Amino acid sequence: MRRVKMRLVWATAFALAIGVTAAQAQQPKRGGTLTYTFHPEPVAISTIATTAVPVALAATKVYESLLEYEGPGLEPKPGLAESWTVSPDRLTYTFRLRDGVKWHDGKPFTSEDVKFSIESIVRPFHSRGRTYFGEVTAIETPDPRTVVFKLKTPVPYFLKAFQAGESPIMPRHGFTEDEISGNRIRQAKIMQQPIGTGPFKLKEWQRGSHIIFERNPDYWKAGRPYLDQLVLRVLPDGAARAIAVEKGEVDLAPMSALPPAEMQRLSKLPNLVSSEQGSEALGPLMWLEINMREKPLSDVRVRQAISMAIDREKLVDVIWYGNGKPSRGPIVSGNPVHFDKTLKPFEYNVQKANRLLDEAGYPRAAGNVRFKLTQNFLPYGEEWVRQAEYIRQELGKIGIQVETQSVDMGGWLRRIYTDWNYDFTSNFTHNYVDPTIGAQRAFTSDNIRKGASFSNSMDYRNPRVDELFNKAAALDDGPERNQAWKELQAILREEMPVIFLIEIGYTNIWNKRVHGLLTNGISMYSGWDGVWVE
Amino acid sequence: MNTARFIARRLLQVLPVVLAIAAMNFLLLQLAPGDAADILAGQMGHASPELVEQMRRDFGLDRPIYQQFFIYLGKLLSLNLGTSNIQQRPVTDLIMERLPATVLLMTTATVVAVALGVLLGVAAARRSGRWLDSVISVLALVVYATPAFWLGLMLIVLFSVYFDLLPSGGMMTIGSGKTGLTLALDIARHLVLPATTLGLFYVAIYARLMRASMLEVYNLDFITTARAKGLTEGRIAWTHAFRNALLPVVTLAGVQFGHLLGGSILVETVFAWPGLGRLVFDALLQRDLNLLLGILFVSSVVVILANLIVDLTYGFLDPRIVHK
Repeated sequence: MRRVKMRLVWATAFALAIGVTAAQAQQPKRGGTLTYTFHPEPVAISTIATTAVPVALAATKVYESLLEYEGPGLEPKPGLAESWTVSPDRLTYTFRLRDGVKWHDGKPFTSEDVKFSIESIVRPFHSRGRTYFGEVTAIETPDPRTVVFKLKTPVPYFLKAFQAGESPIMPRHGFTEDEISGNRIRQAKIMQQPIGTGPFKLKEWQRGSHIIFERNPDYWKAGRPYLDQLVLRVLPDGAARAIAVEKGEVDLAPMSALPPAEMQRLSKLPNLVSSEQGSEALGPLMWLEINMREKPLSDVRVRQAISMAIDREKLVDVIWYGNGKPSRGPIVSGNPVHFDKTLKPFEYNVQKANRLLDEAGYPRAAGNVRFKLTQNFLPYGEEWVRQAEYIRQELGKIGIQVETQSVDMGGWLRRIYTDWNYDFTSNFTHNYVDPTIGAQRAFTSDNIRKGASFSNSMDYRNPRVDELFNKAAALDDGPERNQAWKELQAILREEMPVIFLIEIGYTNIWNKRVHGLLTNGISMYSGWDGVWVE
Repeated sequence: MNTARFIARRLLQVLPVVLAIAAMNFLLLQLAPGDAADILAGQMGHASPELVEQMRRDFGLDRPIYQQFFIYLGKLLSLNLGTSNIQQRPVTDLIMERLPATVLLMTTATVVAVALGVLLGVAAARRSGRWLDSVISVLALVVYATPAFWLGLMLIVLFSVYFDLLPSGGMMTIGSGKTGLTLALDIARHLVLPATTLGLFYVAIYARLMRASMLEVYNLDFITTARAKGLTEGRIAWTHAFRNALLPVVTLAGVQFGHLLGGSILVETVFAWPGLGRLVFDALLQRDLNLLLGILFVSSVVVILANLIVDLTYGFLDPRIVHK
C-alpha cells in the first residue's frame, strides 16, 4: 500500500518536473524557507573536501556542473552547458556553455573555470575524479564559451559524470596561487566560503547549529529558485530530529536522516510524506564482505550456506523497520538499465545450508559447532549492531559460532582494508549511476589493494569477472554491454565473494507543504531550484 | 601578599602539569587504530591508496611518532594548536566557536544546581529523619539515577511538543536577526531545557552532599555550644553550620568543572546545543588528532584554573586555611 502511494507521489513529482500539468497539481509559489536536518554537520561546502552525504547535500545547492539530469537513470539535460556534441568515435565531447552565467561574487563564468575545475580540482581531489576523467587526455578551451574534452578510450558513462556533486565547477579565481601550488586545495578558504553558480548561496554558517543559504538573485534560470532560503539545522540526536520533523520545525529529513524506527513511525503521520524514491542513481547496497583468503570461507559452499541461513525479508522488516528490500545481486534492482530483471530472490533454506556445510567437510563437533568465525560490522548505528546480533543467531543455527567484534570507523577501515584482518563484516556501498563506477571496484582483482577503502578486500580473483568488467567499461549501453552485466550478475551471485543482503533504501521524509523534491535518481543531490513550499 | 605569591607559584606549577597531560593525551590517542586519513578515505567512499598516502603526508601522519610528538610540543609551546585534519581549519577557531556555548550552559547549570542543591540539602539536614528529608533524599536519588538524555527527551516531549512552550533545540531562533536584549531573551528561552536537564543531575549530587556535610557539622562541639547559648535553629544553620558545611560542596564544584566537556556531551546532543562536548565526541570518532589534542589541552587548563579558584575559595570560607 505504502509503495503504491509512493509511486503516486513520484509520478506527480515527475509530472511537475517535466511541466505536465496534472489536474490536481498546484502552481509553484515563490518565496518561503525550506528547513532540512541532517547529522553530522558538513565539514565543508564542497564535495572536493569529501563526498560524505552531509557535504554533498549542501554543496549541490551552491555548485553546479555542466549538465542536469532527468529521471531515475539520469538522462542528461542542459545545465551550465546549453548544448553538447559527441564525435562518432566517442573520443571528443564538445560543450557549448551558457552565456551570461555569473559566479556568486559577480564575476563571469567561463570555459577556463571548467578546464581548471576538472583538471586541477575534480580529477586529482574528488574521490571519483580519476574514475570519471582518468581517460581524458586534454581539455581545450578555444573560446570562453566552448570546452572540448579529448579522451584516450571511450567512457560509457562520460555524459553522466557532470553532476553537481560529482564534477562541481568551481571558480579559478576562488583559489589563491598559494593554495593551488602548495597543494592546499582541501584547506582552501573557498571550501568553507563557497562561490558557486548554483541557485543558492551561503548566507550564514553558525557551526554546530545551522547553515542558511539564500536565493541567488542572479541565477541563470529565470524566476528560479522558488525558495527564498534554505536552512540546514544540525540536530545531533536522532530522536530530537524526529521530533523536529513531527512538530513541523523542520520540513525535510533527507537520505535516511532519521533512525529507522522513527522513520516508520513518522511515515504514518498525515502531515508527512515518506519515500524511498529519488536515490536510484546512487544505488545503495548492503552486503556481508567475506575474507576468502583462508578456510573455511575460501570454500564457495560455505559462503552459499551462510547466504541461505539468512532470512533477508525478516532482516528488512525487523531490523530495518521495512526500510529497503532484499538484494538480488551486485546491481541494485532500481537500476533501470543494467539490472537483470529475471534474477530471483536469494534462497532462504536452513536445511540446505546445513547440507552444504556437511558436504564441504565441516561436521558438527562438540557443542554442535562446526567452526568459529569473527564478525565485524559497520559502526553506523544501532541497527547495524542488531543486524550483527541477528546474523550471529542465524549462523548459530547452522553450527557456525560467531564472535562479534565492535570497533569504530577508524578501526573498522584499518582492519578491513589495510590489515585485511577479519572473517566477515557488514558493508554498505553504492552502485552509483553505472556499475562500472560503483561495482567494479569491489570485484576485480586489480582492486585487491592494501589501504584502498571499499575495494576488493575479499581477495576475490576470477579472470572472467575481470574480463567482463573491463569489457563493460569500454562499451556504450546496449545489448552487448547488458549481456556482460547479465553474466557478471550470474557469476557473482553464484560465487558469492560477498553475501548480498539488502538494498537499504534512502528514505526521505518531508512535510506536505513542500513540493517538487523528487526530480531524478539523485534528487537530494540536485539544486532544488524547482522546490517550493506552500 | 601571601595569596599573590601562592597564585604565582601555583601558575608556575601548571606548566609541567599541562605538558605532562599533553604528552599523555598524545600517546593515548596513538593507541586507537586508524587515523584521520583512513576516516576521510572512508567518507569519500572510494579513495585510492595513493590519495590516502597523500593525505597522510599532508597531515604529517607519515612521520615517526616521536617526530610528530616533538613537532606538536614545539607548536604547543608557541600556543599554536595546529589545524584540524578533518575540518581543515585552525583548531583554535573551532574551539573558540564552541567554547562560549558550553561555558554558558555549564555555568548556568552549575549555578542553578549548586544554589538549589545547597538549599535542598540544608532543608533536608535541618529536618533530618522527618518526611521532608525523606522526600528530598528520594527525589534526589531518582533524579540522579535518571539518564540525562532520557530526561532531556522527556522534557522536550512535555514542554516543547505537548505544551509548545519552549524550543526543542538549538541555541537561538535561526535567521531571526535578533540583537541585544531580544537576542539574550531568545538564548535564555533556548537555555531553559538543556540547563535544567544538566542542572537536575547536579542538584541531586549537591543536595545529598550538602545534607551529609550539614549533619556532620551539626555533630560538632561548636554547634552544641551555639545551641547551649540559646541561638535559634535558623541562626545556627545559616551562620554557624552553613559556611563550614560548604567546603566539600565547593571542592566538588571545582572537580565537576572538569566535566565541562564530558558531562555535557549527551545534553548538547539531545538539545543540539552547539558546544564543545559534541565537537570532542565527533573529533574522537573521526580520529581528528589535532582537534582532540587541542580540546583536551584547553579543558585541562580550564580544570587546573578551576581548582586554583577552589583553593582560593577555601581561604575565604574558612579563614584558618592559609595559603603558604
